[in-house]
Amino acid sequence: MAGLNTKSIAYLGLLLVLCIVPFGLTNYFLSILVEILILGIFALSLNILVGYTGLVSLGHAAFFGVGAYTSSLIAIHYTSNVFVTLFAGIVLSLIMACIIGFFCNRVNGFYFLMLTLAFSQMFYALVYRWSSLTKGDNGLSGIPKPSLWANGVLDSPIAFYFFILVIFTIVFIGLRVILQSPLGQIFVGIRENETRVRVMGYNTTIYKNISFILAGGIGGLAGSLYAFFNGFISPKDIYWTMSGEVLIMVLVGGAGTLIGPVLGAAFIVILETFVSSYTDLWMLIVGITFILFVIFIPKGIVSIGSLWRTRKIANKGQTKEKEKELKVRMNGVIQDEK
Amino acid sequence: MDIIAIQLVNGLSYGLLLFMITSGLSLIFGIMGVLNLAHGSLYMIGAYMALSITQHIAPNFIYALFLAPIFVAVISFLLEICLLRPTYKLGHLSQVLLTFGVAYILHDLVRLIWGANVKSLPLPPWLSGSVELFGQTFPLYRLLIMGFGLLLAAVMWYLQEKTRWGAIIRAGLSNREMVSGLGINIKIVFSVVFAIGGLLAGLGGVAAGPILGLYLGMEFEVLILALVILVVGGLGSITGTLLAGLIVGVVETFGKVMFPQLSLLIIFGLMALVLVVKPTGMLGKQVH
Amino acid sequence: MRKLKGSFMIALALCLAFVTACGQSSGTTGGSSTPAEGDASTSPANGKESVKVGAILPYSGVYASLGENLTRGMELYFESVNWEAGGRKITLIKEDEENDPQGALRKLRKLVEKDNIDILTGPVSTAVAYALRDEVDSKKLPFLVSHAGGNDLTRTKRSDYIWRSSFSSWQIGNSMGKYAYDHIAKKIYVTAADYAFGKEVAGAFKEAFTAAGGEIVGEVYPPLGSNDYASYLTQIKGKKPEAVYAFFAGADAVRFVKQYEQYGLKGQIPLIGSGWLNAEDIRPEQGNSPEGIISTMFWDYHLDTPENKAFVTAYEKKYNARPSIESVEGYDAARVIVEALKSLDGDTSDRQKVSQAIGKVQFTSPRGPIKFDQETHHVIQTLYLIKTEVQNGKTENKVVETIGEIKDPGK
Repeated sequence: MAGLNTKSIAYLGLLLVLCIVPFGLTNYFLSILVEILILGIFALSLNILVGYTGLVSLGHAAFFGVGAYTSSLIAIHYTSNVFVTLFAGIVLSLIMACIIGFFCNRVNGFYFLMLTLAFSQMFYALVYRWSSLTKGDNGLSGIPKPSLWANGVLDSPIAFYFFILVIFTIVFIGLRVILQSPLGQIFVGIRENETRVRVMGYNTTIYKNISFILAGGIGGLAGSLYAFFNGFISPKDIYWTMSGEVLIMVLVGGAGTLIGPVLGAAFIVILETFVSSYTDLWMLIVGITFILFVIFIPKGIVSIGSLWRTRKIANKGQTKEKEKELKVRMNGVIQDEK
Repeated sequence: MDIIAIQLVNGLSYGLLLFMITSGLSLIFGIMGVLNLAHGSLYMIGAYMALSITQHIAPNFIYALFLAPIFVAVISFLLEICLLRPTYKLGHLSQVLLTFGVAYILHDLVRLIWGANVKSLPLPPWLSGSVELFGQTFPLYRLLIMGFGLLLAAVMWYLQEKTRWGAIIRAGLSNREMVSGLGINIKIVFSVVFAIGGLLAGLGGVAAGPILGLYLGMEFEVLILALVILVVGGLGSITGTLLAGLIVGVVETFGKVMFPQLSLLIIFGLMALVLVVKPTGMLGKQVH
Repeated sequence: MRKLKGSFMIALALCLAFVTACGQSSGTTGGSSTPAEGDASTSPANGKESVKVGAILPYSGVYASLGENLTRGMELYFESVNWEAGGRKITLIKEDEENDPQGALRKLRKLVEKDNIDILTGPVSTAVAYALRDEVDSKKLPFLVSHAGGNDLTRTKRSDYIWRSSFSSWQIGNSMGKYAYDHIAKKIYVTAADYAFGKEVAGAFKEAFTAAGGEIVGEVYPPLGSNDYASYLTQIKGKKPEAVYAFFAGADAVRFVKQYEQYGLKGQIPLIGSGWLNAEDIRPEQGNSPEGIISTMFWDYHLDTPENKAFVTAYEKKYNARPSIESVEGYDAARVIVEALKSLDGDTSDRQKVSQAIGKVQFTSPRGPIKFDQETHHVIQTLYLIKTEVQNGKTENKVVETIGEIKDPGK
């Protein structure tokens, strides 16, 4: 129980820092922070699937895209009211998650990964082709900044930052509550041993669908926010490379933990922003970083602290926990299909 | 009628080319359970190596066809020993991330060595001609690719089903401990299999180079195509991969002609359809 | 295991060292943000701070070679004026566009907020240009577009601060329309890569060709980056058109033109298109297959003018390679910036004036005389008809005819 408290205090401290920090930052660094928070929400949403339910999806960008395009189109053609646009974006991504989830949850493991990829690529093709609505590969530009009420346009960087921070905090706390609830326990159960959960009398398909829909909805939210942040969205953001990037954020940060994906998002954004400014060999640097992560920090950034601690005191309990998590990772892509 | 016949030949030759590109990926996945996302990069290195061989060492495509894949096989062998071996106990996702990292690194290395310009692999005159087929002009090289692809499929089938090596490999797939218990070093088996996978990737690169061209980013395009064929055919089945290659080739060829506006959708639509109808691909087996 | 990790680390470190060494020795194209010109900021001419030019160009990915050539062209011109204009030093800050609009926006913020650039130039991708447009407009940053050719940038997406010195897709497609009807064929099949730019080029061609009286017998749009054109070519051949108009670039153009020959269309059905089909930098990779292609473009390697000859000589001397279309674009963009700075006497404090000064620049470039349309902010330039011939076993382009000055209608 004590551990939980220190964790809560740590989160509160982090939130406090995030509240103070923008006043000391230039707009450039503030924009990087905003991007990290938005992609953090995106990574959090994928983590529900990958980290908690054990379903590795390579098509998560589709939901990002649905949210982004829906909100942008409404903002351009009807109203820039933030509640309307976000609501529409989330509803559409939820609907799409229902449909895609229905099909994808019929298959397992690597086939699940490829089927999510197939659906997201088909959605990509649709957006790319439907150029009368989406402007094709040129992307939708000139998306107006969101407004909170009639004249309250969020155009100052600080105001927009706090707007994003509020949403981020709500999502984060909301997910924490959900994932610690019985529902979250069933997700974890499915990840650990689906057969057992089914034997216990739960219809695992329904729960996998709930997980998929939850992830899709929050992914859509992230997409909407990203479209407002840059005022631009293009099919490039729905392409499978985007799905790959967010998966990497989750894995590098630490799948199956709450803060991990956010750290992963921060790490990837910072790496890409700064490395590519100094060398055009950034793909090489990113590649080497992945490999270093896999070999030295396989459990992601969140584990760096504990990695250091376990080296100091060989704690049996912790090693046991480590083993458990190792097993979880092994179940990652190819689950036991029996 | 002639046009439909020639389109069918187009589709089959494209399909066999896709099979050649995917066979290595399928072999590695089938036997080692490793999803090698660097497969496209090995394919790319094969193609670029062939280019260098024809330009600097021996101006002969046939030499390149044999030498370049061997070079790629050596690279894969080293990759397996240095990078993959320590990660087997970490699970599949780690290997996915690792091989993806390797793909990123190789992308930039290829750019450093061969530059960013578009390249093409020239064919010798006796291969670059065209023949008359169903009253239409058809490139000779594509006919040869068809023959080569079928030959490759036959050889792989024979090795896997009828030789001692194939037996060891199949045994290793179903029960790793048992095989090591019999005194066979499964580590070496894995290294060799990965090298063979690399050899096939390189071979695919050299064979496809004159048709598909050489440019940065080719590896990711090929990788996605190969993954689709792997899944459509079913994981771990070479026969399935061959069948999937042929079906994807033919469906894409006719799809492009009949529904040109859907051309981006066809291949993924096909994959989704197959997986929804048959969740383990066409000839897939259960994988551990 | 520990030992393995150790040896792995050493191998990796060696690899990295090798690569950085390589990167430095061939570092002319590096997207590094260190100033291209030595210590320009510490020793400014006349004690004034240097003018900072930000370039967002692709240095990785599919368009990397285009970014490289644009940069070479720019650096060649800046070097010829000793990196100085209007009494101030010029510093070029390069950022990788990555062909990714969102990534490019990140780079733009860095250039604006952190580096305080005075003028922006680039990009190659039209989507990137559209993405940058609003941010550039709201920040009132003078932006000289040096490649991206999407029509809307100088039409509905016009901005007071954006000028384009390269081309528009309309200029490329339109220039062939009338000539094709008068001299080549009455019935044409149109094919182009399926992306916004390709469709705009094809659309402009169709409009001009049908206006002249021609008939389009069919059209097909293969996806960008198609592996295989076999089925399309078989289909085109079946339609028996009098000629084929094609828009493809880069790897697509190599494959399309080669397969056009392999499937027996070459020599039977004339192939016409835009100058990227038989461009200087991809023709060597096409073998003899581009022989006979007739295309339109705003520049050619063999253009017989003193300006072009001087440019080609200087370029080949410095880089030991032939310039490409993109090299000229970079060269001209650099010159526009330099001329604008000269006319301002190096005073970049008023951004509106900088933008206006860019618009007033006109000179005779290697591609011929260029100036800006004051209303659309788009370049007015001459287009040429180019034909590929085989000389001594190799293909060379020849300028057959000058089509004349082509001005984008802006609508």
